[in-house]
Amino acid sequence: MSLSQEREESLVKTLKENFPTDIKDATILRRSRIDVTIAPDRMVEIAIFFRDKLGFDHPSGVSAVDYNREARFEIVYHLSSIRNVGQRDIVVNLKESVPRNTPRAISLVKIWPGVENYERESLEMFGIQFDGHPRPEKLFLNDNWDGPPPMRKEIRFPTD
Amino acid sequence: MSTQKSAQSDDPIELLADSLNVWVGKLSDIVHKVIDTEPIRNVINWARMYSLWPVNITTACCSAEFGAASGARHDLERFGVLPIGSLRQSDLMVIEGTITKKMAKRLRTIYDQMAVPRYVIAMGDCAISGGLFHDSYSIVNGAHEFLPVDVFVPGCPPRPEALEHGIIMLQEKIRKSKVYPEG
Amino acid sequence: MTTTDKHAQTDLPSMSPTEPGAQTMTLSVGPQHSGSGHMRLIVELDGDIIINAMPDPGYVHRGIEKIIELRNIIRSIPVIERPSIIDASNLNHAWVRAIEELQGVEPPARGQYLRCLLNEMNRIMSHLYWLSIYGVFLGHTTMFMWPLGDRELFIDLAERLTGARITYSYLVPGGVRRDLPAGFAEEAVKRTEYFEKRLDEYENIFFKNPLFTSRAKGVGMLSSERAIALGSTGPTLRGSGIDRDLRKDEPYAAYGELDFKVRTRPDGDSYSRAMVHMDEMRESSQLIRQILEKLPAGPVRRKAPIVVPRGEAYGRVESARGECSFYMIGEGGDKPYRARYITGSYRNMAAIPEVLKGVRLADMPTSWWSIDYWPVEADR
Repeated sequence: MSLSQEREESLVKTLKENFPTDIKDATILRRSRIDVTIAPDRMVEIAIFFRDKLGFDHPSGVSAVDYNREARFEIVYHLSSIRNVGQRDIVVNLKESVPRNTPRAISLVKIWPGVENYERESLEMFGIQFDGHPRPEKLFLNDNWDGPPPMRKEIRFPTD
Repeated sequence: MSTQKSAQSDDPIELLADSLNVWVGKLSDIVHKVIDTEPIRNVINWARMYSLWPVNITTACCSAEFGAASGARHDLERFGVLPIGSLRQSDLMVIEGTITKKMAKRLRTIYDQMAVPRYVIAMGDCAISGGLFHDSYSIVNGAHEFLPVDVFVPGCPPRPEALEHGIIMLQEKIRKSKVYPEG
Repeated sequence: MTTTDKHAQTDLPSMSPTEPGAQTMTLSVGPQHSGSGHMRLIVELDGDIIINAMPDPGYVHRGIEKIIELRNIIRSIPVIERPSIIDASNLNHAWVRAIEELQGVEPPARGQYLRCLLNEMNRIMSHLYWLSIYGVFLGHTTMFMWPLGDRELFIDLAERLTGARITYSYLVPGGVRRDLPAGFAEEAVKRTEYFEKRLDEYENIFFKNPLFTSRAKGVGMLSSERAIALGSTGPTLRGSGIDRDLRKDEPYAAYGELDFKVRTRPDGDSYSRAMVHMDEMRESSQLIRQILEKLPAGPVRRKAPIVVPRGEAYGRVESARGECSFYMIGEGGDKPYRARYITGSYRNMAAIPEVLKGVRLADMPTSWWSIDYWPVEADR
């Protein structure tokens, strides 16, 4: 495996060429790890571009992070590429921020069916609504926890 | 088994039924007393303790050690313990591991569906007191909060030998117990 | 049987044939079932055929993602190992990989090889446990007993190496905790050679058995396009012909220097997935011998601070059930700000409805367990 970052740089270049004004930030964290931050209203077009033109067809997961000091939630889609063998080790973290008091985003289930369960989990753990999600209901917390979304930073538990 | 006869009831059938109830009740007491004497009680307890059939529940990670204990090297069947599919035909419930609130309701339902006599072994630190996950938002800190536990087997997870020791202790407990406990 | 079937008996009292799809029944399978792990499947049936199977997880949800934000990174190691306790070393490896990515620490070569050694032993142990529970699901008592007995061979080795049967906590940021004890290599080589002969016996008795092939071939289909779009990973993906394996695609620890093949099967049915597990056990067995042969000298651990530096990292490994990853965000201090934990079984949960569509109810255990969905691992 070469130690240069040519593939990552060319991916970032292609992305910036096709969406010159919509990419808030695109950095290469280290080898095989790319971070792309965009605005939520452009998410669907850019996600389709990633899947069809750049070859990222495998959804590895969706995370939500509570940046309570900045009053936002960040939703991160982890994407990897299976069909394109030359970039199988690359992970793209596609990020969008939503305001903490009205957390709504558009669901990407129609683009990658595999993100359905992760978006449901973000709904129950953080309270983030995903428009267009086929089953917006609790996944793990039914009968387990009735209170506010437990992964938010202000929810603390007795012995910590 | 009321010995009071209702003053208003002159119905001969009802009077007969009442006195039969008393007679059957007294007979039942006598049968219980006979069974709870030494030779018969020992035979019944011997049958119970050497054929403890647990329900197939694999609550959490301790189930890996329960599986290993049922396996080829630490064969639990030599103690008479054979996991059985139907819970109406089992008399032991081994709570293996962490109990979430969602599962606790179902465990109580399973326990209620088992026929008497039934015994409970709490296996693992999580089933005893919450263990490693004691400060989690979704778990119940110990099986004794909603079930009557007979034997506690500590460990995280307990070795199969520890589980076998727990089963031997339960067998000792059964050997010394009455067939019809009060209450 | 449709109403136009000339053999249809329409003259029986209180019985009339229904059109297929006219009437469905919802069946709740679990959470107590004669199998493994608590998970409920809400199955919609049309006669005998499953139309839809929705998983209802959460019976073993312990809130690990919240717990690991509250404990320091060393105290969290036993917690993150527990989801798949039979595969603890691989999960542990994902955790330390994320931390080392943030800290910029590289363990010494001997430490990397010992990590691979325990990982491969764990892969065999996990697959043997899978096989024995497959025996419970299929009603095959020999398939239950024999793998558990052979698993004890490797549990003994792991106990000699780390001190514990299944919960090792062996990998720490910077390396591993202990070095190889004396006499370990000879013992391990003897056991893996014996184990490979046993694998031949397993293939003959369990897998070339017409009772098994008739139950598993062509049952529970998962096409490669759907497998990729649903985010499947591990043997579930490799059973559909895709040769995705992080040990080869993104070599970590010492895997870049080791020689092994990625095992796939093309058909995408339950038999393929089961055979991928068998093939992987063989590969892991020869990998153990290779690792012990190539083991370099030197220290096993480099001192690493108990701190999560500011930054983000995505540490992942190929665990027995698939890709296990930690997306870790640090802000200095000894606890992560956020550590998102996604395990192999959680990724494969999306494949369950796909695999069970169109399968007969009696074939459900065969198909479901061939995905190797471990509920404790998915719920975390």
